[in-house]
Amino acid sequence: MTALALGLGLALLLVSLGLLDGGHEQTIADGVRFGPGHVVIQAKGYQDTNSDDLVLPARVVSTIKQFLQTPNMKRVVRGVSPRLLATGLLSSSANSSGVRIMGVIPLKERAVSLIPQRMIAGAYLTDDNLSAVVIGDDLARKLEVKVGSKVVLMTQALVQPGTPTKAGAGEEMESTLLRVNGIFRTGLQAVDANIIQVQLPAAQTLLGVADGQVTLVALLLDREGDSPLVARALREQLAGVPVEVLTWRESIPMLARILGLDHAFNYIMNGVILAMVGLGILNTILMRVLERRYEFGVCKAVGLRPRQLALMIIGESLALTSISLFLGLALGLSIEHYFANSGLDLRLLFRTGLPPALVFDPILYSRLSVNRIIWSVGIVFVMATVISFYPAFKAARTELPDALKVL
Amino acid sequence: MTEWAVELRDVKKTYRTGPIEVPALRGLSLQIAPGEFVATAGPSGSGKTTLLNIIGGLDRADSGEIWVAGRNLQLLSSGDLSELRLRRIGFVFQTYNLLPVLTAFENAEFTLLLQGMPAAQRRARVEKLFSEIGLAGLENRRPTELSGGQQQRVAVARAMVTEPALILADEPTANLDSATAIALLDVMEHLNRATGTTFIFSTHDPQVMERAHRMIRLQDGQVLSDETRGSPERANVGSATRSA
Repeated sequence: MTALALGLGLALLLVSLGLLDGGHEQTIADGVRFGPGHVVIQAKGYQDTNSDDLVLPARVVSTIKQFLQTPNMKRVVRGVSPRLLATGLLSSSANSSGVRIMGVIPLKERAVSLIPQRMIAGAYLTDDNLSAVVIGDDLARKLEVKVGSKVVLMTQALVQPGTPTKAGAGEEMESTLLRVNGIFRTGLQAVDANIIQVQLPAAQTLLGVADGQVTLVALLLDREGDSPLVARALREQLAGVPVEVLTWRESIPMLARILGLDHAFNYIMNGVILAMVGLGILNTILMRVLERRYEFGVCKAVGLRPRQLALMIIGESLALTSISLFLGLALGLSIEHYFANSGLDLRLLFRTGLPPALVFDPILYSRLSVNRIIWSVGIVFVMATVISFYPAFKAARTELPDALKVL
Repeated sequence: MTEWAVELRDVKKTYRTGPIEVPALRGLSLQIAPGEFVATAGPSGSGKTTLLNIIGGLDRADSGEIWVAGRNLQLLSSGDLSELRLRRIGFVFQTYNLLPVLTAFENAEFTLLLQGMPAAQRRARVEKLFSEIGLAGLENRRPTELSGGQQQRVAVARAMVTEPALILADEPTANLDSATAIALLDVMEHLNRATGTTFIFSTHDPQVMERAHRMIRLQDGQVLSDETRGSPERANVGSATRSA
């Protein structure tokens, strides 16, 4: 029973860590794909000012593209999407709404963003249709439009510091007629009510920026852990160029903060699980020691030294812990394997609807690294060993001759 | 000067349960020479078991000196007392106190194991002893599969197997029938004669009292009488030691 209790504790810890780490990984993966990717390259000052007038010059974009084609970068970069961003007003025959315009190259955007995968009506943008726009379902409801509806997008041409622009740029309103090609739903209100995507050339024309100029280049990596390395390589490559290269932690600080808080909460949760396991071990071993008082009394009466008795208890505890850890690993990794492959459908737990900030994907996949397994096994082993000291100490202090009377 | 197997000087012991104090030994002094076969008798509460427990280092006296094998037990640590019991003292308890999970052989072997003796030597010594005290063939039985007399013999074997200088037996025949008790006493007397091991019993059993070479009667934690008898050589040992 002791082995089973301890094993269950470890199994619970492994499953919990797997789901928590999986949830984090998924949150980051989804967060960066609805945002500017794992790494973003943008004009210097854009992060602080959010000024749409700050765009990357075409030659810088060209340099970035070339660098990303090097073998080292190709190995780690999964997708590259240049985006031109601006604010505007989208109007239908029924209503108008302020929007965030995102000019993208559809094929490249597909490799980075999750929006193309979240279409609930119509289709995503295609390279051959410059007048197409995709919008979120909240916005579609507000504008009372559906797939095929005509909408008018109005915005001001950008004013680029130190760069020749069209006459009257920044003063004249530009507008264009677009047709709703598709409607997406991400579940994020800020995205579904504000973001619209159009073809990059159409946005460049509308905003009056030269071909090749974009606000930012979003990179999606194969592994989130490579973000700092890729960012550093890009910074070195673009040294002296007025750009800023940010990892997702820098470009989406709110997400990083939320995950940090979540991490802290998880540590507390794991601490509670460990405390429960620890108390279970202590209780069980202590009970076993008290039950064996007579046995220890006899052993001491015939010459077993208190220290030997304590070592015997610790040895027994270690043997028991080893068996428990084996059981716990087998059970925990089996459950974790299931959740890693089939996932945990959170919709089963939240039947009334998912909390919007929890995760983006309702299916939570467990992710458990070897380090986590070693850490979990190690900490439970150390904890069980330390906890066995008290019962061992208690056994060593078995009082003679009283203990001999218990039979 | 004779070195006593056991010497007690003005030993006092009081048991306390809350405000209640029960004196068990009241300034008891005693000398027992090596090789003596001694019985202590007296009514319940006279201090017999307390005396044996204190001599064996299972319990500590409140004051006085207890010398066993040349060492003052009052000055020894718990670990040192264990070591002394392991090397120099054997115990035989009224309720046998065998470890139920071990076989008869393993129970007897246990103390040798603690001494770190190699397996072959342990086996040889336990087998020889089992043969001498009539336990041959019962080696693999657990205590629950043995009669009371057999269990007590295993307890004697466990006490004797380390060849201690002193064996303390607390009412060893109390749970045995008359014939079994006589047989056990035969075994112990034989071992006493053969090895020179000092035996100290506590008993209510007239058979044990008759067989003892020295009879110490206790009352209210003090020596009421101390009588030497039996074989002349034993009597000589006793008188010599007491006059030393």
